[in-house]
Amino acid sequence: MQEIAIHTKKLSRKFGNLNAVDGIDLQVSAGQFFGFLGPNGAGKSTTIKMLTGLLAPTSGTMDLLGLDLGAHPVEVKRQIGVVPEGMGLLERLTGLEYLQFVGRMYGLDRATTQRRAAELLDFMQLADRPKTLIADYSHGMQKKLALAAAVIHGPRILFLDEPFEGVDALAAGALKALLGRMIERGTTIFLTSHVLEIVERLCSHVAIIHKGRLVAQGSLEELRAGISGAAGGKTTLEEIFLSIVGQDGAERPRLEELSWLM
Amino acid sequence: MADVAGRAGILTQVRLVAGLRWRMLRNGLRKESRRLDLIGLIFAGIFSAFLVVGLSFGFFFGTYKFLSLGRSGWLSLFFWGIFVFWQFFPMFAAGFGAGFEFRTLLRFPLNLSSFYIISLAYGLADFSALACICWLVSMTFGATAAKPAVLPAMLLVVTLFVLLNVTLERLVGSWLERLLSRRRTRELFFALFILSMVSLNLIEPVTRRYGAILRPLGQRLLPYLSWLPPSLAGKAIASAAQVHFGGVLLACAGLLVYSAVFSGFLWMRYAKQYRGEELSETAAPTPIAARTVSKVDEAPDHLSALSPQVAAVLRKEFRYLTRNSFAFFTLIFPPIMVLIFSEMFAGRRTPSQHPVSPEMLFPGIMAYLVLILMAPAYNCFAFEGRGIQAYFMAPLRFREIFLGKNLLLLSVLAVEMGLSLAMLSWRLGLPSPPIFVATLTAIVFAVVGQLSLANWSSLNFPRKLEFGQMRGQRQSGMAVLIAFAAQFLFGGICAVILFAGRLTENRWFPAEAFTLLALAAVGGYFASLDALSRVAEKKKETLIEALCR
Repeated sequence: MQEIAIHTKKLSRKFGNLNAVDGIDLQVSAGQFFGFLGPNGAGKSTTIKMLTGLLAPTSGTMDLLGLDLGAHPVEVKRQIGVVPEGMGLLERLTGLEYLQFVGRMYGLDRATTQRRAAELLDFMQLADRPKTLIADYSHGMQKKLALAAAVIHGPRILFLDEPFEGVDALAAGALKALLGRMIERGTTIFLTSHVLEIVERLCSHVAIIHKGRLVAQGSLEELRAGISGAAGGKTTLEEIFLSIVGQDGAERPRLEELSWLM
Repeated sequence: MADVAGRAGILTQVRLVAGLRWRMLRNGLRKESRRLDLIGLIFAGIFSAFLVVGLSFGFFFGTYKFLSLGRSGWLSLFFWGIFVFWQFFPMFAAGFGAGFEFRTLLRFPLNLSSFYIISLAYGLADFSALACICWLVSMTFGATAAKPAVLPAMLLVVTLFVLLNVTLERLVGSWLERLLSRRRTRELFFALFILSMVSLNLIEPVTRRYGAILRPLGQRLLPYLSWLPPSLAGKAIASAAQVHFGGVLLACAGLLVYSAVFSGFLWMRYAKQYRGEELSETAAPTPIAARTVSKVDEAPDHLSALSPQVAAVLRKEFRYLTRNSFAFFTLIFPPIMVLIFSEMFAGRRTPSQHPVSPEMLFPGIMAYLVLILMAPAYNCFAFEGRGIQAYFMAPLRFREIFLGKNLLLLSVLAVEMGLSLAMLSWRLGLPSPPIFVATLTAIVFAVVGQLSLANWSSLNFPRKLEFGQMRGQRQSGMAVLIAFAAQFLFGGICAVILFAGRLTENRWFPAEAFTLLALAAVGGYFASLDALSRVAEKKKETLIEALCR
């Protein structure tokens, strides 16, 4: 039987009267490349924050690698890596200093930390500016550094909140290659992205959250079959997403109102 | 085909920019959390109105008097006052008011001359410009009332003076905008600004010691000021009062030359902006000739006695301290202030008639150092920004974070106190052993005792601060209150114990009492760390929300 990497039961989070996440039951198997999709404000980042210990749930449980996050936060955090919303970088350090800081915070010994930090900087092509502060990095460089920091301790689950946002095509290629290698060695990757083409190309399984509720979950084939039956074999993820989330015609912008622009 | 907008007239654009300024001010006040700002602004408005109206009367009567009494040469002083206010006030105001980068207007369809004119109009709508124009108008009325014949000259001089000032103010402003767009320059400028403010304390001792040398030097420099714009404006009016039209023309020609030169520079500055000046400071991609490979540092680990997490936090805190130019520069000040205090209040070389003995001054100075250096500890996450998330993502308890942060603070305190101690022993000599030991143990008690409170305050009342910025940099009111109360409490306990030692004539009693209290404080500190870790877990959302804004 396949090991379960992430398992949530009735996971909820309220902000005042708003149900940002409303009783979601997620199940992600170990080694899956899992895409977590939803429109703006659907609850994606709130879910990731809860799963990584940055936000406490209002109710529900979360098990990561068989451990309850609420009861064993330190043990769970040791095995996960995160690129959070906003990246969480300490901007007054250089890239190398930041990676060394993170490595040591995860309890790696000094020599290992230094070796891995140097290798990651080289891989991410950030080694040519050793004295540049992170505050002076471009957005794409910061994204690459945040990813390097998230993997320095060799996590078993990697959470990525919009990892490709602002990253150029060259860097995105390198990141995808890195993520592919991690999947090969059994890492579970939990990714949110607005770029559905990327999710479709990388992820084997997908869940869609809408207004705080999980509205679809499964492999891409299962979602296609669920939407269009046997005829929908060539349905794209974008079409699936729109058919699930954008069913309400009132939510679609009406171009005819902008006739002066045509 | 989409419609294309017609060209907006220059007057419409000026009106729109003025409206933009007003809306920025109004919208800034509409936020509920800035209600106090509104009250402050009302008070500032009333104060400003009194300042402008009151000084307008002053300028009117002063000008009237000078011209009536035949002392028209003194009018230069008024022009100097106005000039200094016009040029310096906007610089201070820019640090605290609503931010607006004027060059952002360049995204709109403006030609260079429109951009230039709008800039001058924008400069004229500034508070300092409006106030100065009021004062110049008052001077014109005063001069006309005293000698109606000087009115044409006054109008000419005031017009030129306004043009010159607004042009210079925009020129300086545009250069500042360019310089401050770079993070490093901004931080350096901020540090220099604070240093210059603190250095005002040195004026009194310096003038007392070197006044005799500086005065003749200043007098020798005075004639050179007569070629500067305010003196020329004053000279023009004085010449008009003496019906010496050659002098009026010469002085006005001087003002015109200054205006032309400043206008030329401003035009060149704006032309550069108009062509698309690059002010970004992010690292631009550069072609990599050969792939760089990072070197692994093989130096020995000097912090190997600490846990990896505590050592990592300590290193990070040290780097943050050295890169926060303001915080780093402020560390220079306590020993300097100790030197000034020892110079002013005590010592063998002071002329003071009632020198304070080292027995009193030593504990007092050390209390001052604790007061100054402990203050940042009450909002110790202020500069983490989004990096605060790194602490919550890492597999550790918050006690390690506090240990690392507190350790650096203690190291800084030790260095500062060591320097001050050396300074005091050089200037005054050390106090008696009972007072010396009592003071050192009192420091341990007061500092370690405060650390637990400061850590708790940092978790409960976090407020984000930016490196090298003046705008919007305010500590949480509650954190300030807690810091004040804690300092008062610990200072009070120390004072009572020292006083009890004097009263009982038991010279070693304070040292013994402080040793016991210090031990209790150290025990309490370590006991509080686990409780604080739990508080951090509960407060993480507040912390992340406050610091990730």
